Amino acid sequence: MVQEKIRFQPFSPEPIRLVDEQGHWIAPFEHGLSPEQLQRFYRDMLAARILDEKLVILIRTGKTSFIAPHAGHEGAQVAIAHALQRGHDWLFPYYRDMGLVLAMEVPLVEVFGQTLGNAADPAKGRQMPSHPGSKSLNIFTVCSAIASHVPPAAGAAISMKLRGTGQVAICTFGDGATSEGDWHAGINFAAVQGAPAVFVCENNRYAISVNISRQTASENIAVKAHAYGIPGYYVDGLDVMASYFVMKEAIERARAGHGPSLVELVVHRFGAHSSADDDSRYRSREELAAERQQDPLLRYQRFLEKEGLWDAQWANELRIELAKEQEAALQEALQAGEPDPLQMFDDVYAARPWHLEEQRRLVMDELQS
Amino acid sequence: MPTMTLIQAINSALDEEMGRDERVMLLGEDVGKRGGVFLATEGLQQKYGPDRVIDSPLSEAAILGAAVGLAAHGMRPVAEIQFADYVFPGIDQLFSQAAKLRYRSGGQFTAPMVVRMPTGGGVKGGHHHSQSPEAHFAHTAGLKVVVVSTPYDTKGLLKAAIRNDDPVVFMEPKRLYRAVKEEVPSDDYLIPIGKAAVRREGSDITLVSYGGPMVETLRAAEEMAAAGVDPEVIDLRTVMPWDKETVLNSVAKTGRLLMISEAPRMASVASEVTATVSEELFDQLLAPPLRVTGFDTPYPLAQDKLYMPTVTRILNAAKRLLDY
Ligand SMILES: Cc1ncc(C[n+]2csc(CCOP(=O)(O)OP(=O)(O)O)c2C)c(N)n1
Ligand SMILES: [Mg+2]
Repeated sequence: MVQEKIRFQPFSPEPIRLVDEQGHWIAPFEHGLSPEQLQRFYRDMLAARILDEKLVILIRTGKTSFIAPHAGHEGAQVAIAHALQRGHDWLFPYYRDMGLVLAMEVPLVEVFGQTLGNAADPAKGRQMPSHPGSKSLNIFTVCSAIASHVPPAAGAAISMKLRGTGQVAICTFGDGATSEGDWHAGINFAAVQGAPAVFVCENNRYAISVNISRQTASENIAVKAHAYGIPGYYVDGLDVMASYFVMKEAIERARAGHGPSLVELVVHRFGAHSSADDDSRYRSREELAAERQQDPLLRYQRFLEKEGLWDAQWANELRIELAKEQEAALQEALQAGEPDPLQMFDDVYAARPWHLEEQRRLVMDELQS
Repeated sequence: MPTMTLIQAINSALDEEMGRDERVMLLGEDVGKRGGVFLATEGLQQKYGPDRVIDSPLSEAAILGAAVGLAAHGMRPVAEIQFADYVFPGIDQLFSQAAKLRYRSGGQFTAPMVVRMPTGGGVKGGHHHSQSPEAHFAHTAGLKVVVVSTPYDTKGLLKAAIRNDDPVVFMEPKRLYRAVKEEVPSDDYLIPIGKAAVRREGSDITLVSYGGPMVETLRAAEEMAAAGVDPEVIDLRTVMPWDKETVLNSVAKTGRLLMISEAPRMASVASEVTATVSEELFDQLLAPPLRVTGFDTPYPLAQDKLYMPTVTRILNAAKRLLDY
């Protein structure tokens, strides 16, 4: 019975937190997770951090054209990946979710292929880096247009309900996205239909340069759920355990037929908005340095240490192993080469109409001469 | 005279207009504290304050809809859409509200607003930082549409757009933002909306383009000239209302029209111009008007350069016209 499992109250004035800054478990219940699972969270968070560092190198060396750093979001993203049923539920991510996609076990070569935009990308190099997707893992390919994926997530959830598949649609976005009309339209529709969806805000309090105080007059994002008649959870997203348990409850609530919820995971954005941004123009280095002290990895490390599941040697070896794995995948992806230029004309429609045949022939002739 | 890039010309036009008329104000995503993602509005919030340079919430519908209300109520808003590709969440406000306000109120209400947006490809921006959606705007009655290509024009046209009494969509090819510098007067001047510029006079063939591909068009013209052909080159500058007179006069002289645009071909500005020339100059044409355009696919990242009208593609089409 889902009722018995309810642990969290929506609309709390303070963010829900289960592990404090020093790593103490402060929840009124036992976590009940196995050592393997607890270490797995750490592994995935560390892998996400290593990926972030690697992407920065790829941009500096000109091997990729764009990145949206996810450092600071790792706890939230790993929690989401583990709370849903991988390969069964559908994920509607946004461009800052590379750590999430990694924890969803999208093959590393595909991750780097998408980053390089070359023939190793299952999406044929069509989109900018940080726009992954995977049909086999039910990861709905990212669209740059902010919040445009929220109504589709509602639609998929309505289909899940209609067809009785027992799946849940999980849709992530930033704090800025909550200002778009599509965001409201999608959540409202899902709520009215009682569809199995969970809407997740990775609130890093910035939309590029715009601070959340210029984005909304609401006291937080979670309270917006009230207007749609669904629960809103205000959560410390730097706490992977809090993020995981709240997400788990929201997802199972949706699966049990009790409708959508909104989960706000408050995180930090340690990097600039993207490789095209210079964040020193709008936020002070002091502010950023203070935030970096609240690293989600560090807090979770302290927790694991107290559980007897973390020591420096283990963590070092893990880091080396993960870095090696990623480097090998990157090298493999780099070998793939450029995608066939004529693929430009594929996948516009199920079959090419005459005008695309003509345009394709023009390019083919050019390439041959 | 100072030399300026296209982005500096925008900044200068906004600064001068805000200084001249206190009804002029700016709103958009990241336009204030950061000065815009391309720095078009750099320094203006410091100078004119956060009430006249508003960092808006992340909503194009809010930006464009609020601009309509601000304009109807007496302000002269200049809205920035961060990329032309992101105008779509605000399209209802632009098409249903701004474009039709004058008409639906029988001329009682108007929306004198400017909507600036970086447009076009060639910057490895993928689907959503590369599109050229001018045809959508040109197709919507009530909107004027400008697409600039030089710093000098940009300043004069933006100032004219701000003083214009209709909603003007002002499109800025992002790949040209810092590509060229030229002398731009520091005093007040206007370039009329609806007037094309003849960039090169010639007698053998008319090349018409606008925006980003003006670069490739002029380069192709140079190569043609070196090969003994004498092309005339026209920069439309405004695509709605486009300068029919200048184009027809030129094609009447040369007998050949090649229209170049990076926007998709289907139902495009290029289609409109070539169709009009065919209708009005049929008996004076030496060859059927041709188009070199972007392809009718979403804008692909991997084929970022191939998608664009290349110099080779322009020269090949020109050869077909000249050999006809
Ligand atoms: C419809 C739309 N408008 C504008 C943009 C440009 N843009 C890209 S990211 C961004 C800020 C998004 O902030 P937020 O939702 O908080 O997510 P974060 O990047 O902080 O994770 C903006 C304005 C866009 N991608 N889509
Ligand atoms: Mg944000």
